[in-house]
Amino acid sequence: MKAVILAAGEGSRLWPFTYSKPKVMIPVANRPILEYVVRSLVANGINDIIMVVGYKKERIMTHFEDGRDYGARIDYAVQKKQLGTAHALLAASKMVKGDFVVLPGDNVIDSNVVKDLLSADESPCALITESEIPSKYGVVQIRSGKIVDIMEKPEEMVGNLISTGIYRMSSDAFTRIRSHSRKGVHDLTSVVRDLSSSDDVLAVHTSGKWIDAVYPWDILRVNETVLRDIGEEKSGKVEKNVTIKGPVLIGEESLLRSGSYIQGPVVIGRGCEIGPGTVIYPSTSIGDNVRVSANSVVEESVIMSDATIGPGSHISHCVIGEGAFLRSRFSSSSSTATMDVEGDFHKVRDIGSFLGEDVFCEDGVVASPGAIVGAKSRVSAMRVLRGTIPDKSLVV
Amino acid sequence: MCGIVGYTGSRKAAPLLLDSLKRLEYRGYDSAGVAIVDKKLRIHKDKGEIDDLRGSMPNISGACGIAHTRWATHGKPTKVNAHPFADCKGEIAIIHNGIIENYLELKESLIKKGHKFTSETDTETFVHLLEENYAGDLESTFRKVIPMLKGSFAFAAVHSKEKGKIVVARKESPLVLGIGEGENFAASDISALLKETDRVIALHDNEMAVLTPESIEITTFEGKEVTRRPERIKWTVEDAERGGYEHFMLKEIFEQPQAVHNTLLGRVADFDVNRFGRDAFPSIKIVACGTSYHAALAGKYILEDIAKVPTEAQLASEYRYSTAAFGRPLVLLISQSGETTDTLGAAREARRRGRRSLAITNYVGSSITREADDVIYTRAGLEIGVAASKTFLTQLVSLYLLSIQLGLARRTLSFDESRKMKEELRLMPRAVQGVLDEHKAIQKIAKKYHKARDMFFLGRNVNYPIALEGALKMKEISYIHAEGYPAGELKHGPLALVGKETPIVAVAIKDHTYEKMLSNIKEVSARSSPVVAIASEGDRDIEKYVDDVLYVPDVPAIFTPIPVTVVLQLLAYYAAKERGCSIDKPRHLAKSVTVE
Repeated sequence: MKAVILAAGEGSRLWPFTYSKPKVMIPVANRPILEYVVRSLVANGINDIIMVVGYKKERIMTHFEDGRDYGARIDYAVQKKQLGTAHALLAASKMVKGDFVVLPGDNVIDSNVVKDLLSADESPCALITESEIPSKYGVVQIRSGKIVDIMEKPEEMVGNLISTGIYRMSSDAFTRIRSHSRKGVHDLTSVVRDLSSSDDVLAVHTSGKWIDAVYPWDILRVNETVLRDIGEEKSGKVEKNVTIKGPVLIGEESLLRSGSYIQGPVVIGRGCEIGPGTVIYPSTSIGDNVRVSANSVVEESVIMSDATIGPGSHISHCVIGEGAFLRSRFSSSSSTATMDVEGDFHKVRDIGSFLGEDVFCEDGVVASPGAIVGAKSRVSAMRVLRGTIPDKSLVV
Repeated sequence: MCGIVGYTGSRKAAPLLLDSLKRLEYRGYDSAGVAIVDKKLRIHKDKGEIDDLRGSMPNISGACGIAHTRWATHGKPTKVNAHPFADCKGEIAIIHNGIIENYLELKESLIKKGHKFTSETDTETFVHLLEENYAGDLESTFRKVIPMLKGSFAFAAVHSKEKGKIVVARKESPLVLGIGEGENFAASDISALLKETDRVIALHDNEMAVLTPESIEITTFEGKEVTRRPERIKWTVEDAERGGYEHFMLKEIFEQPQAVHNTLLGRVADFDVNRFGRDAFPSIKIVACGTSYHAALAGKYILEDIAKVPTEAQLASEYRYSTAAFGRPLVLLISQSGETTDTLGAAREARRRGRRSLAITNYVGSSITREADDVIYTRAGLEIGVAASKTFLTQLVSLYLLSIQLGLARRTLSFDESRKMKEELRLMPRAVQGVLDEHKAIQKIAKKYHKARDMFFLGRNVNYPIALEGALKMKEISYIHAEGYPAGELKHGPLALVGKETPIVAVAIKDHTYEKMLSNIKEVSARSSPVVAIASEGDRDIEKYVDDVLYVPDVPAIFTPIPVTVVLQLLAYYAAKERGCSIDKPRHLAKSVTVE
């Protein structure tokens, strides 16, 4: 069976981390979200994969190439305008025949999720799961194992079973998708809801791991969850008097300088330089070619590749984008903050700050909890960052 | 250039050989052919594409054979000149890369002895020579005949009476052997074998080998046994698939942040300071060809600026035949494939002159790694596009690493400066990504100017060689006639050619030559040439003087070749795409030049 992964969207609610890459390529535990989807499919014997790509597609293609590194054969279909998930699926319509699986590329899933979907013997079917905050998703109504309705982001509590956006269907569905498309309806949920009114759409329940990232602070939550299951593997060079506790992955040619203290779960990529005297607490992911200089403390954070954390910095519950450069004594503690994302306000507990790619901070910058700094912004020494700062800003 | 593959085992040889040839396609060719030992010897060859050959292929079931892609040197690209060649009796088939220099005299004497030649090639001489001297054993015939040849070669041969056996020989032309389970392979290039095996043995100069399904026996031409352990090759066949990109070249351009990461890996935080600097040498001579020569020219500026070592760049084909002047420079050899004939010749010449040599190459185990005293690997990964992109960029990065290292070892660079420079170098993958993220802006400019017949690329200082490389990329793949010039030389000739039909690409980054470049730009725009400037991010001033600006991330002046190179690659790529050119396989060109 083939799988179609929808990976064309930008994911603007995850700005600034979508400045130069699609949402699906945001790394958690040093792997793009999309890679978890691919690996779960391959683990279940589905290696014929079509990725529907669009926004910043080169990032995806350069990472996955033709899929052989992942034991898959990946072909790409391009969705030129990102109108919706059903529209995206149409881009792959010529490449599938018969039954296939369709999945969103922006949810981290484990292999049990795919296994549960495959265990159902009928198509079409929709994979459902329980959610603590069903109001964020499409809540499904089920009667004798069949879906009878899907309510998109209901304000009242109507149930806690939600659609994961993962379906098994047959290529016959394309006719219906096309007719919806002509009426200007481009999302897959609407198509499935309509399908369920005339055909039997089986509801398949999964208790496998399914986590989605919608907002910047979700990156920390997803990262923490994924890090719970990492193994231990140490490459690189570890100098004397370095303490490493718990599960810690260290990539090749990374250098851990003397006096550093690493408490897992922590993952460190290739070619990093950590320390001397640097403390890294759980649950932290550090990408490739990152430098965390002397006497810095990092906890529960994601630091993406090519970033530089200057000496004496404190980074707590933060997401630091690729190539960000924090000259020295950058400080970002965590606390409860009210976040404004595209006009919606969210009260979030225990968060630090979010720095987009290539943000440049001179010495002694302080970021308040909840601050979001747009990509390529430059911040003068000793400034305090608050609220949301657009891309390419100058903070003087 | 030409490609060789051979197979002996239990599978059907024909489709396997064609598949392997396909993987050598990127090297460029104009004809192809296969010889298989079935009940008797069967040869099928033609000019044109491998796919056409596959289409017209009769059903041949033998499990031992050889195949070849030819890039014409002696004789036109026609069916009769295609390899393999057979002897008069149709028992022996051979394929050949390289040149037999004394083939005319050999051919004459063979014709006198009654041999019938069917082609104009130097290669055919060898098969008749084998026939003339054959006494029941191909291996000993090789040993007898090879001393009669002058020139360079890699041969593979089969004989219809010696089933399951392939004999190969090499002198100054690459050849590797692949080891399988109950089967063995030979090829001129590792990439042909990647699908079948990751265990390979490189054959050295003046060595031959006999392959059967169960064994590989390597000996010198004199008959001395050679034992050599196979190497594991990390590249996988997937490196050769386009993965969603329209062309390998674009894929390779977009892979550059990762390639630069790999070049830098483990070489930034900790440095073996003394490795190359231990010896006292007064100067450096960098020797290379083609795109690598542009890296060499940039290397002159980089080494002189960072390490303060007097450096000169010379074309390998010139160095080989130049006079050995006084002074004992370190000879730095740059070759992507490590098999470039002229660069290898230069390496041997350097040794003959008693010079210490250091090679920068991408191919582990290539010939140059054996000719040079020391090696820096660029780690760019497999490059398929004939026009070099990521391999050039990683050559530059290697030159920066070397310069910092030499500067430290020779005490011409302070420790503090060296740390700062390494820190800058560490951030280069971001500078590359920064350009890639703006590829749509570059595409727009390429669209605007792709109809040009002629173009000039101007640069100064360390970006002068980059202008040369930009022009080379442009002419290689888009076939626009493009010339690179040091901007100061404009008035000494090329200014006569500018006008509104000749777009100028000027590298005008903010360094100590910026003002000078601005006056050069005014000179050409006064003669109504449209000007595209490549400028440092934040330089709004320049927009007043030029028609279009492409910005590169602001990095220290000496490192600007890295982002500027990427802009020029994309400019050439998109121009070629607009013009509908065959980007991965430009006409008449080959990936690695293994003939003089």
